[in-house]
Amino acid sequence: MSISRRDFVASVGAMGLASSFPRIALAQTENIKIGWLVAMTGPSSAPAAGFDRGVHFAANAINAAGGVGGRKIEIITRDTQGDPTKAVNATQELISQARVHAIWGPTNSGESLAVTPIMAKAKMPNIHPCVIDTLIDTKKYPNAFRITPSNTQWDDAVRHYCLNILKLKKIAVIGDTTGYGVSAVNASVAAFKKEGAEVTYQANIDSTQSDLTPDMLRAKNSGAEVIVVWSVSTGMYSRMFNTRAKMNWDVSFVGHPSVSSGEIAPLLDKPDNWAKVYAVGYKSCSYDAAGNLPPATQKFVADLLKAKVKLDDTLLWWVACGADAIDLIAKAVGASGSTKPEGIVAYWNSIKGYSGHFGTYNYSLDQHNGYSTSEIVMSEARSAKNGTFALAPGY
Amino acid sequence: MSTQTTANSAEVATSAQVSILAKQQSVRTQVFWLLAATVLAVGLPFVSNDYWVSIGTRAAIYWVLISGLNLVVGFAGQLAIGYVALLTIGAYTTSVLTAGKISDPISVWLALPVASVMGAIFGVIVGLPALRLRTFYFAMTTLGFATIVTQIALAWQSVTGGGIGIPGPEMPAPFDDNLGFYYLCLGLAAVCTWLTANIARSRFGSGLIAVRDAEVAAEACGISKSHLLIPVFILAGALAAFSGGLFAGLQTYVTPDAFTFELSLLFFISILIGGRGSIYGPMIGTIILVILPEIAAPLAAWSTFLYAFLLLVIVLAMPGGIAVLLDFNNRRPLAKHRTVAPETGMLAALNPHSISNNNSLSLKDIVLTFGSVRAIDGVTLDVKPGKIHGLIGPNGSGKTTTLNVISGYYSPNQGTMTFGQATLPPGLPHLRASRGIARTFQTPRIVGEISVLENVMIGGATKGKASFLEALLAMPKEKVERKALKDRALALLAVVGLGSLAHIRTDRLQHSELRFIEIARALMIAPDFLMLDEPAAGLSGDEINKLGALIQAISACGTGVLLVEHHVDLIFAICDDVTVLNLGKILAAGTPDEIRAHKEVVNAYLGG
Amino acid sequence: MFASILAAGLAAGAIYALVGITYNTMYSTSRVMSFTAGQLGMLGGVFGSYFILKLGLPIIVGFLATLVCCAILGYITELVAVRPVLKSLEQHLYVLSTLALALMIQQVTAIEWGTEPRPFPKLVGWGEGVWDEKFWIPVVACALTIIGLEFLYRRTLVGRAFVAVAEDNFAAQALGLPERNLRVASYMLAAVVGGIAGFSGGELLLAFFANGALLNFYGFVPVALGGLGNNRGAVIGGLILGLFQQAANFLVGGIFASVAVFTLFIVVLLAAPQGLFGSAVAR
Repeated sequence: MSISRRDFVASVGAMGLASSFPRIALAQTENIKIGWLVAMTGPSSAPAAGFDRGVHFAANAINAAGGVGGRKIEIITRDTQGDPTKAVNATQELISQARVHAIWGPTNSGESLAVTPIMAKAKMPNIHPCVIDTLIDTKKYPNAFRITPSNTQWDDAVRHYCLNILKLKKIAVIGDTTGYGVSAVNASVAAFKKEGAEVTYQANIDSTQSDLTPDMLRAKNSGAEVIVVWSVSTGMYSRMFNTRAKMNWDVSFVGHPSVSSGEIAPLLDKPDNWAKVYAVGYKSCSYDAAGNLPPATQKFVADLLKAKVKLDDTLLWWVACGADAIDLIAKAVGASGSTKPEGIVAYWNSIKGYSGHFGTYNYSLDQHNGYSTSEIVMSEARSAKNGTFALAPGY
Repeated sequence: MSTQTTANSAEVATSAQVSILAKQQSVRTQVFWLLAATVLAVGLPFVSNDYWVSIGTRAAIYWVLISGLNLVVGFAGQLAIGYVALLTIGAYTTSVLTAGKISDPISVWLALPVASVMGAIFGVIVGLPALRLRTFYFAMTTLGFATIVTQIALAWQSVTGGGIGIPGPEMPAPFDDNLGFYYLCLGLAAVCTWLTANIARSRFGSGLIAVRDAEVAAEACGISKSHLLIPVFILAGALAAFSGGLFAGLQTYVTPDAFTFELSLLFFISILIGGRGSIYGPMIGTIILVILPEIAAPLAAWSTFLYAFLLLVIVLAMPGGIAVLLDFNNRRPLAKHRTVAPETGMLAALNPHSISNNNSLSLKDIVLTFGSVRAIDGVTLDVKPGKIHGLIGPNGSGKTTTLNVISGYYSPNQGTMTFGQATLPPGLPHLRASRGIARTFQTPRIVGEISVLENVMIGGATKGKASFLEALLAMPKEKVERKALKDRALALLAVVGLGSLAHIRTDRLQHSELRFIEIARALMIAPDFLMLDEPAAGLSGDEINKLGALIQAISACGTGVLLVEHHVDLIFAICDDVTVLNLGKILAAGTPDEIRAHKEVVNAYLGG
Repeated sequence: MFASILAAGLAAGAIYALVGITYNTMYSTSRVMSFTAGQLGMLGGVFGSYFILKLGLPIIVGFLATLVCCAILGYITELVAVRPVLKSLEQHLYVLSTLALALMIQQVTAIEWGTEPRPFPKLVGWGEGVWDEKFWIPVVACALTIIGLEFLYRRTLVGRAFVAVAEDNFAAQALGLPERNLRVASYMLAAVVGGIAGFSGGELLLAFFANGALLNFYGFVPVALGGLGNNRGAVIGGLILGLFQQAANFLVGGIFASVAVFTLFIVVLLAAPQGLFGSAVAR
């Protein structure tokens, strides 16, 4: 049977009209796609594993409860391996090919420095846990929000503990050779000097250096009374603690949360080598003298354990932070009624006193560093119980 | 007999026609693929999204670097594994200048050329060890350089920002969005393809390949390794640093951890997968290696392993790389029973010498010792222009060593060599060709991967006057020169009887044909003096006769010929004078008849 | 400070010297410089840690198992990366094939074993401070290996066959020596030496995948300094390198130390391409 041209055009037109209806309906039920840029493999992968558990826990919990307005959360993970070139490629792919609605990550500062401008150009809503101060700029990157404290906030907590609680004056500051390590050490040294302390030794060490005796010797010979450390490398920390023990040097380590990570325990020569190490910690993830966590956290840990999430080889705050990020994105979509970027960013800008598992957040148009400084404390590094910690002495 | 000759000529004629047809078709196929690739590249943004455009941009940027590195690794055969060092230098230089770290901020259009100059300088520094060191050692030094550059970037915090890095250059409109930047990089990649293809096609390209695969013969043809390599290092370094500036623009931020060893590998392996001595092969290799990790996203952690595995497979199974697949020229089978049929008619026009040429080559009391062994013990020898001088003797008597001394590969401990009035400086083999001295070798030293024609053209290296820059920009002077060289080579190939095989890959040829190729190559400079090292070895009886006729024709033009041979029949048939060596000393010297009757020669060598 | 430099320098130097000997042994029967030498050193540490700490095997058993695994890899190196390439005329191909194989080994280790340095077991339990066993074990291992090799080359038939093949390939073939089997055996021997280097250096360098690239380079410097094929030169070169590197490490710190070492290496190589002590191989 032959089809006349008029018939053909008419039928195509009808199909086109018909297909436009389902498309509108489709948008309402399409998944909420969240891009997750993470350095799963590579040197700084310890936090990544923790974040990842929180991400999947939160996504599964939301989806089990019916999703957001009937829409499921879909996590699209891209392993950047700690390589900025891979991060740039992956970010572009998430934006233009996978067409995600928001991006959580990247987890590495070096990668974040490269991809933040790209996300800004594409107006992609972005939450990230990287601490380098320059990553947040409400004018240049109006779509980027930081969920963790900035490094300045961490630095303030550490410095306060050294100078005012431990009451020490001679400081050694050591970091690794990554972008984060270098900037953190520089900022820390400057802030210590401003408050009148003496920085007797300052160094950046390659985190894979196997023998740390030369560097520790130099620090000791300089007369340092406490060592402030800024690195994510748990391997380097374990070697530092072992070296301290071998040198019989009774000095304290104060610094980055990673000094308390469960990955360190098996790398120590003796469990006691972990004594006198104090990590940046969070009120939400610390237990008091009686061994009790804050009630909200207790419930969270119970839920995690019920969902069979492993906590003993990581830090709770990483898991909590990852979960909070997904929750913040989901809430934004729910509150604004759609996955449009402007709506998500507007919601985030309006957040006041939001209580997450990890902390309390406040954001505004001019303030994208949302974590409250008052919730930062120092923890006793080796006191981990399911990734939570006892407060350091002196609090 | 005459029917056989006619049959032979018919075969030759058909072969020649087939060869020309094959070449024309291959050119048409190449043009087709080139057009297709261009359309694809230009049209990419319209059929895909920003993501693939950014991948395309990345491939173009890497190709800018790889096109230059290709000349170093693929053509010159120098295994520069650590070339990411130059990418780093270019990226940081551009970023530091545009960010205003050490001076006022300058425009990216100024910063990029400055970065290229830095790259050129460091390209020479990184490459110079290649002139002194053997392959593996040089590879190691490039790895060392790559590490040093990264460490310095990390340590020099005031300028490079240390671990935290610095922002990359911002491109001015209209290149500041994905599409504009893509077309900019695509255009630059096309320009680099053109530039490096110009060098590849010029005498510099073939000179590089000659140095890579037949260094001894290259020297004899007057090619100086250092004069050739240094401009190439400059070009490759400049392109690499330029690419680094573009890379910094793509990344928008430069930190030391972006310059991984994996990048160095990508550059290096693209060239080897693509095939040495090719431009388009490595280009395809680059595209493959950039796309591979994107397609195999779940295998992200295995990308370096895949690169290494690909390299191993190529090395073991297809050392010629993709270029072999692109070589349309050499698909057709060759005729099986080929014989070489020299036609010496044109020779006089191609090898002219004035009658007043009185340049004799004279050796006087040459002594050469290796440790305690006297390889040559007081050799005196005179070869007159237009005469054929035979040099015979048992194995180990010093015949080839004498040739090598004349060529300049060995410096004699005592004695003098003169050519005409001038002394021949010992130990400088690449100066012989410009003096009008050419030679062939005991084992044919030719480049297997290139065509017969290109091999012969290498012999004319000293006739090239166009500079590297003129070749780079495809200036008419270079093109005219090249055409003249090509015509001359084709004519000489016809003279030695290999005209129909001009465009065939040389490693497909028979041993006897290689010998005649060497002679054609030597004739390119219309030598005043030609040395032949056992040219008849491996030839059939008929071919030896033809060889003899050819040598006689050469000397009849006025060239002096020194002929080392074991085929004494040939020696006695064509030589005007004969010298006999034994254990490094002259046993006898004289006319063929005198030598044939000489008692000691008969005892030591000729036999009853 | 001086005692620490001496202890660490000799220990590191001994490890580098052993890897240099690995290079030399592979080179001697094949004329091939193999990129897998450093990787074998790395695997000595990784396998040691895996067998003894992960699987809980007794130390001697773990050590022997490590050497066996390394020997197998040496065999694979010869089979896959060297033998096919020796037949071809293109000498540069062996650089590429061994590089490819070395990278594959490194990447598999990175993925399966992890990218963080993992601990290496305590072997003897004797020594404190500068006399800690992580400093003297490599030195002792190096000395014992040298003595063992000397005995092998001088006193045993197999060893003398190695030397013959190394000195004059064609003559050895003419004498009827089984060239290929000897080559395979020397690659396995070289791999065992590499394994010893990594195992004895395990406490100093830890079981870390990136040691492969590190030892590739630092194990090559003794060869460059001492002359290709010259084992004694490799030992002296290794010790010099170890002491220089550790002195730089202690005095100026990690980054500048490695820049200093690399620069020195390149300068020495350009000044004396045959090595400071001359190559054992004729031109």
